[in-house]
Amino acid sequence: MDTAVASPYRAYKPQAFTRSERDHVTVLFGGLHWRAERVLQGALENLGYRARMLPTATKEDLLAGREVADIGQCCPTSFTTGNVVNFLRGEAKRIGPEEVAKKYVYVTAGSCGSCRFGQYHQSYELALRNIGMESFRMFLLAQDGMDQGPSAGGGLELDVPFTMGAIWAILATDVVQDLEYQIRPYEVVPGATERVAGECVELLYEAFRDRPVRSRKWGAAAWHIVTPYFLRTLAEVHRRFGAIEVDRLRVKPVVKITGEFYLQTVEGEPNYDIHRWLESEGAEVYPAAVTVWLDYLLRFAAQQAEDRIGVARNARVKRLALRAAQGLLRWSYDRMRRALGDLPHEIPDQYELRSLAAPYFHSRLDGGEGDMLIGKALWAYHHKKAHMTCELSPYACMPNTMSIGAMAGVIGKHPDLLYAPLEIKGDAEVHALSRCQMILTEAKRRAQREFDDALGVNGLTVESARALLERHPEMKQATYRVPRRGAAGTAANLVLHLAERSRQ
Amino acid sequence: MGFLTALGFEPQKIAFSSDTSEQQGREHAKGRGTVDCCYPVKCISGHYGELVNREKHRQIDILFAPMIRSLPSHLGTHVVASLACPRVMAAPENIKAGFIKERDAFAERGIRYVTPYVSLGDPPIVPKQLFEGLKDAIPGLTPIETREAVRAGFAALAAFDGRARARSREILEHCAATESPCLLVLARPYHMDPGVGHEIEVDLQSYGYPILWAQYLPIDDDLLAWTFGPDVHDGFIRSPLDIADVWPSSYSANTNEILWGAKFAARMPWIACVIRMSSYECGMDQPTYTPVQQIVERSGTLFFSFQDLDSTKPAGSVKIRVETIAHYLEKHAGGIIAKKKAASPPGCPLIHDSASAVPQQPKSKAAPQAA
Repeated sequence: MDTAVASPYRAYKPQAFTRSERDHVTVLFGGLHWRAERVLQGALENLGYRARMLPTATKEDLLAGREVADIGQCCPTSFTTGNVVNFLRGEAKRIGPEEVAKKYVYVTAGSCGSCRFGQYHQSYELALRNIGMESFRMFLLAQDGMDQGPSAGGGLELDVPFTMGAIWAILATDVVQDLEYQIRPYEVVPGATERVAGECVELLYEAFRDRPVRSRKWGAAAWHIVTPYFLRTLAEVHRRFGAIEVDRLRVKPVVKITGEFYLQTVEGEPNYDIHRWLESEGAEVYPAAVTVWLDYLLRFAAQQAEDRIGVARNARVKRLALRAAQGLLRWSYDRMRRALGDLPHEIPDQYELRSLAAPYFHSRLDGGEGDMLIGKALWAYHHKKAHMTCELSPYACMPNTMSIGAMAGVIGKHPDLLYAPLEIKGDAEVHALSRCQMILTEAKRRAQREFDDALGVNGLTVESARALLERHPEMKQATYRVPRRGAAGTAANLVLHLAERSRQ
Repeated sequence: MGFLTALGFEPQKIAFSSDTSEQQGREHAKGRGTVDCCYPVKCISGHYGELVNREKHRQIDILFAPMIRSLPSHLGTHVVASLACPRVMAAPENIKAGFIKERDAFAERGIRYVTPYVSLGDPPIVPKQLFEGLKDAIPGLTPIETREAVRAGFAALAAFDGRARARSREILEHCAATESPCLLVLARPYHMDPGVGHEIEVDLQSYGYPILWAQYLPIDDDLLAWTFGPDVHDGFIRSPLDIADVWPSSYSANTNEILWGAKFAARMPWIACVIRMSSYECGMDQPTYTPVQQIVERSGTLFFSFQDLDSTKPAGSVKIRVETIAHYLEKHAGGIIAKKKAASPPGCPLIHDSASAVPQQPKSKAAPQAA
């Protein structure tokens, strides 16, 4: 056993990324779904960065992630660590490790607790050491600062235009993703939605790349909030989706996706491609908007300020400011929804989520999604937003297991709430999907029953409902807004709407 | 106890669940678990069950299980924050679900379940939080009473902390005087529970090696200045309690203290061996495995870890490991101390000219001696 004294261990410290390097260094990023990443790329290019999305993580990345970092990581970290590692290895093979270290930097989100997510820079660092690329530069950006200033040598400037661009890219792609998922299960021409969604994301990419914001400070924030610039692009998005023909009389259960941030957001192997799998199993997927997470962060900060009223100065003012920021976020999101014909789902009210979850999970418990997962499951249940909630829980996720455990109390009280918590390990697909399928079978039954009831109370049959639909060709347009008439399913709501129209 | 007795609860009216044990889990936690997670959280079901299932004449009225968001830490403002682990923090809500999912086991026994959310690492806000969390359970409680009780609680904690740290310093001084080794345990506070840490350190202590816990290392100014002075001087850290040189994301209290303890061990000549303990599926420990091992081993200090500790004590493998550790210590401790001393700055405040303690050699297993 070697007991020699060596130089002390020191944490990885990236070399500076200077402003003068911006022209020839590419900023790598990832961790969202492809739409958000592509539009974010446009927002970064607008600020003079060369930006490149990492490919969506794969099972090979999972294995690489497990291999190069400490054992027991949560599954998203294994995927993302391996994703970076495999990309760097591939590039190193092509151009050599020194060139890779010169040519790329990696930017990812950090946090200040309470779960280990914010400490995962250690996994990345260890992975870099283990693949012999310690000189590669990796930077963390906080999720809670509008203007974090220049960092890491000035090459990255996490200022207001940067932050606003990122937030607006998320808002815009959230509404587009939501619309896409409402249309695809009902498209008459297979692949039409996919094609239009791709075109629309490119439109948004160009809009963000060319956004005419000039101010580097708060003027940029004001511009984003008031400008109709993005709404014009979204109007074009609406027009293009409107050309898709749909058949909304197909009976499909609505499955709301919730869970840990990465797994509910990403679309691909890290979550067994659950969105597409559910669609292939006959479901309409209600995706998880990233905006809800941003709203939650603001709510959490507002709660913290509220708790300090009477203890710290300015706490009341801070809470008011944060509540105002929440209002602005929701208002901006709703503007974008309106530009898409009010079709995308509204984001749930954070304070309603909080009160729904309160008997089961304290609102101040942080780490992960806190009380939101319980709140969202109950919100979807009480408001008939979905037939079933599918919660994607990463293997070894610390906070997520806590809320899943607390859900036992919820299910005890509401045994008819269809809830499928899936532990996602990345390599146990059959187990997770078969578990989901069991709940989905019941969700399908409920969707069918609801549809049959809608026909029955209105004295309709499927054929007569279809005949009514033929009289209203506008309802076959993807952007026709079927009003919600108390059912969770699209087909049932359409029948109720058709019956209503036939009586007029 | 300091807080509760200051609120007027008589000490004999305050009951604690017993140490964690497999039997406790078998008898009281059956059917109560709602999710698979780390052992220290899972075993809470057994503790709740034990308290809830007490005989009628010993029935409790209040089950008090605070949700602790942050912890007091000697690292104070030298670190980003001192948050509790998110699972430990949320455990009262998670475990509760197992007691209410079919029938409300608390209500059936007339027990009030009281789980105030409290940020112990942020003292100014604690009275407000505890008053809000306790006012319904303790009729007539006032904010002033709560504030006074909080003060008493923190004072009791500080007094205990001070005594434990002073005792650790005595042990180090004794080791310095006798040129004998001691061991440092790097673990989380709940590993002091015999059912969670499985008394591995006790097995080692039986070989005659004094045991220190990172949570109670001495933090006297003179000692810190000697231990970390060169690092401060060279600009690696801003103060002896700063851990940014090894762990920039220093927001988790127990993780921070483990990292700081590892640094302390690396620089303290008489800590010849570090024992790392970690429980099954401990997410907070996981990212620290490599840095902690590297910090310790690069200093030439022996490092042994016991990972994935769960409900069952792996007695056979622990015995073999303990014998191995004792063997290495017997063989290498003297050399380790000499090398670490040679790499240390002069003027160690632990060494007193007047020290006259009789050198004490570790005993062999044949004649164990408790330190």
